[in-house]
Amino acid sequence: MVRLRRNFLPYLFLAIPIIIYLVWVIGPMFYTFYLSLTNWDGLSSPQFIGFRNYERLFTDRVFFLSLTNNMKWLASFVTVPVVLGLALAMILNRAVPGEKFFKMSFYMPMVLAMVVSGLIWGWLYHPRGGLINSVLVGLGIVEKGPGWLSDRDLALWSIIIVAIWRQVGYVMVLYLAGLKSINPEYLEAAKIDGANDWQVFRKVLLPLLMPVSVIVLVISVIDSLRAFDLVSVMTRGGPANSSSVLANYMYIQAFNNYRMGYAASIAVILFLISLVFIFIYLWRVMQDELEY
Amino acid sequence: MYRKKMFIILAVVMLLSLILTACEPETIIETVVETVIETVEVEGETVEVIVEREVEVLKDKEILIYNSYASDPAPREADEEIVQMFMDKYPQYDVIHSTINHEDFKQAIRAYLTASAPPDVMTWFAGERARFFIDNDQIMDISDVWEGEGWVEDYPAGFKALSSVDGKQYFLPTSWYWWAVYYRVSVFEELGLEPPTTWDEFIEVCETLKENGKTPITIGTKYRWTTGAWFDYLNMRINGPEFHIDLMLGKESYEDERVLAVFDAWRELLDNDYFIEDAAAYTWSEALEPFITGEAGMYLMGDFIRDSLPTEIMDDLDFFRFPIMDPAVLIGEDAPTDGYFIAANSQNPEAAKAFLAYLGSVEVQTYNAEKLGRLPTHTGVDRSMFNAAQQKGLALIDGADYVAQFYDRDTRPEVADMGMNVFMEFWDDPGNIARLLEMLAELDAYRMEVFGAD
Amino acid sequence: MKNAQAYFKSPWRVLIFIVLVLTTIIWLVPIMTSLVTSIRTFNDILYRGFISWPEEITLGNFKTAWERGGLSRYLPNSFIITIPSLLLTMLFSSMGAYALARFNFRGNRLIFFTFVGGMLLPFQVLMLPVFKLTDFLGLYDTYWGLIFFHTAFQLGFCSFMLRNYMRTVPGEILEAARIDGCSEFRIWWRIMLPLTLPAIAAVATLEFTWIFNDYLWAIILLRSEKLKPITAGLASLQGQFVTDWPVIVAGALLGTLPTLLVFLFLQRYFIEGLTLGATK
Repeated sequence: MVRLRRNFLPYLFLAIPIIIYLVWVIGPMFYTFYLSLTNWDGLSSPQFIGFRNYERLFTDRVFFLSLTNNMKWLASFVTVPVVLGLALAMILNRAVPGEKFFKMSFYMPMVLAMVVSGLIWGWLYHPRGGLINSVLVGLGIVEKGPGWLSDRDLALWSIIIVAIWRQVGYVMVLYLAGLKSINPEYLEAAKIDGANDWQVFRKVLLPLLMPVSVIVLVISVIDSLRAFDLVSVMTRGGPANSSSVLANYMYIQAFNNYRMGYAASIAVILFLISLVFIFIYLWRVMQDELEY
Repeated sequence: MYRKKMFIILAVVMLLSLILTACEPETIIETVVETVIETVEVEGETVEVIVEREVEVLKDKEILIYNSYASDPAPREADEEIVQMFMDKYPQYDVIHSTINHEDFKQAIRAYLTASAPPDVMTWFAGERARFFIDNDQIMDISDVWEGEGWVEDYPAGFKALSSVDGKQYFLPTSWYWWAVYYRVSVFEELGLEPPTTWDEFIEVCETLKENGKTPITIGTKYRWTTGAWFDYLNMRINGPEFHIDLMLGKESYEDERVLAVFDAWRELLDNDYFIEDAAAYTWSEALEPFITGEAGMYLMGDFIRDSLPTEIMDDLDFFRFPIMDPAVLIGEDAPTDGYFIAANSQNPEAAKAFLAYLGSVEVQTYNAEKLGRLPTHTGVDRSMFNAAQQKGLALIDGADYVAQFYDRDTRPEVADMGMNVFMEFWDDPGNIARLLEMLAELDAYRMEVFGAD
Repeated sequence: MKNAQAYFKSPWRVLIFIVLVLTTIIWLVPIMTSLVTSIRTFNDILYRGFISWPEEITLGNFKTAWERGGLSRYLPNSFIITIPSLLLTMLFSSMGAYALARFNFRGNRLIFFTFVGGMLLPFQVLMLPVFKLTDFLGLYDTYWGLIFFHTAFQLGFCSFMLRNYMRTVPGEILEAARIDGCSEFRIWWRIMLPLTLPAIAAVATLEFTWIFNDYLWAIILLRSEKLKPITAGLASLQGQFVTDWPVIVAGALLGTLPTLLVFLFLQRYFIEGLTLGATK
């Protein structure tokens, strides 16, 4: 009797969460798969058109441009914030004077809403009155500052800088936690063996931080694939789609051009790419699980 | 201990949000004449008498949902004022009025329409953009309002045609405005310039402005529609309005040589740096800033430009007709019409129609014409009260052989979107002709797909 | 002071410290610039350039954003949406997490992985169907539509975090309670929850900023002006005061204030929340 009750109990606890989750997250996900096979325009009822949307995607230049931009975003995200965050964590792991203030300065951007970050940076990048160009011109470095958000070659990078500005604090937090969990005896032992600081870092610390690094990388990848708000607020993907990313392109297709079916197919592609990394993450979690 | 607290906090918050969510309809007191049977004792006998008496009844106000895209400060103020005037005049209605950022509104409109309880009344654009929703049965037939309010006679035939599909009226056009090249009088005077009428004169003006360190033309292309105006005008001036409209309706090809001529003229302006630098960094209203400070000379814009300009420079503002490029070509002008419609699934069509009737009245149109300087559609509005700008704008449109709406209002939205992408890419690299041809081919293929092959 | 002396024992350290200070300054520039901008007038900046001594200092921009920009109306909405979402998420996820952490049953792994996978989902995938669903349920343009979605979407992350934490609770305590005849529900409520409180606080702090800062879902699931949260309000502020950057920036700062306060006062939990899932 007790056995039976206990078998039945976990489902009781899980019932509400699972129902909510199925209805609001899993169900809609599958519905998106279905929509991607239709030509739904948001008004009339969706008509099944097979894989036409996907065929069109393969000839859509803007789609590939957005995909490339996502990859650029990804490449910057797995390098710059990771290196910077790790370096900051290494520095701040010691008792630096003013440690709290420094940490806070790097955490702050994380707390701001994306919309707010976008607005603030939009003002910094303002070609005429903005701070960056005012400084550049004021110091006589250039005669006329560049149009950070209007130049096709600069727009995407200008946005990525904002994203990096937000991300560094996060990576730093993760590495700080990782460093705290390392037993200092390992480092002492290495020092006694005559290793210099760099060697200790390379041969001892980095391998020990490996689990954190995997998490950091996966989170960076996922975040760069999900990028939306900053682009939407700062350039809307412009000029001439040069800063478009998949999520933004999908949004524009769905709500600007009302091609909901097509938008859904972009969403599915985005999902499939993410899935690879979600599996890597799950695999990591699984390994932790097996340690139990 | 903490659990108790948590419970209490939880309960309070839930309750609070429930209370706040619940939309209590306001009530009004209405006087109703009631017939009752009263028993009266007359000379010892009870007699039943029918008596009429006035009773005050508490009635729920009828709720009317109105979504508007009038998000710029001046139109917003006027809009809110009109709603208030309506509610003062008809106390039985309670209008729930939401103003949504113009660009967000355009994106959200399908969500609004397909919701099970859509907003009853919405602001919208006449022309192809309304037509699309009418064809999809999302807009209510309001022929009865047109008939009942006498609009059929009071509105010019052109506006009636613009609102009709198969002889039924679906749209209420309430105001329209002209497009023109706006300029700062003081800047022109300082440099001894006259408003140009021909293309050569226009180029000369641009050149003089540029030589004197001014930006000849300002524009903000962060939202791409501003480029549509340049395409419209260049196309109408070079190829004539008829070709333009056929192109918009999918009857002509984007690969036509005549379209290429438009880009050639456009390229001339771009190559000579007549446009403001970094145009894509600005929205149309951010691009006003150099115009306000006098650093930029001209701005091709609709008359709503006035809403966003500081009053100090209003006296220093004037406009001229987009210069004539070929005198042999008929004159076409962009003069978009704005108005309202009722959602097909409106929950309260009676109230919505009452509101629409009010919006289309002489009273409201007069108010709008005075307050915002738009041109009214109702012939009953006294034209003598128009200010100088309105008179001039009216003359400008009266002098046109053909009136178009606007690029993204005359053609299908998805084609317009792709078209504006082409304009933006062309803008960025005007010299790349191979790329332009490739994009136009792509655009034309899409046109044929959307409109169906000719 | 002793601390500082001990730190600067080598020239390397001094150099590193200088680099650190410089980086920090760069990081603070955007926020500092906003502060300065928000107390100047636009004309002042426009005509005299950004790098100039302000002609006058004013709090008028905050007032304009608050009153005319309607932030006074949007801010309460943010709380009305955020707080119930937060409470519901914490309630449901702690229930789910308890089951996942302490029971062996069929489907445990599968459910767990679905939660973890879902938390990494590009949420844009859900945009169209969730809009339809919300409308279908009659919750479109109500606070509840948004609250339910936030609750559901954040369940994945919260369950994952809380489950991991709950697994570290020693089983003996729970066994003892069970032997005493405590019902599972009581064990969850009276023993597990209090023990998990640090994790709940950490996750809740993090969730608060996430839900509060949401923009996308607010503009998709809400239509009425009077229901919109501050993030959506800020975006329409940009539409309204298009050229007046000081007002826009002042509004942005006002909108950030609640999350900033939560962060400043609950920093410890915030940081714990971020690290809870990543490292153990």
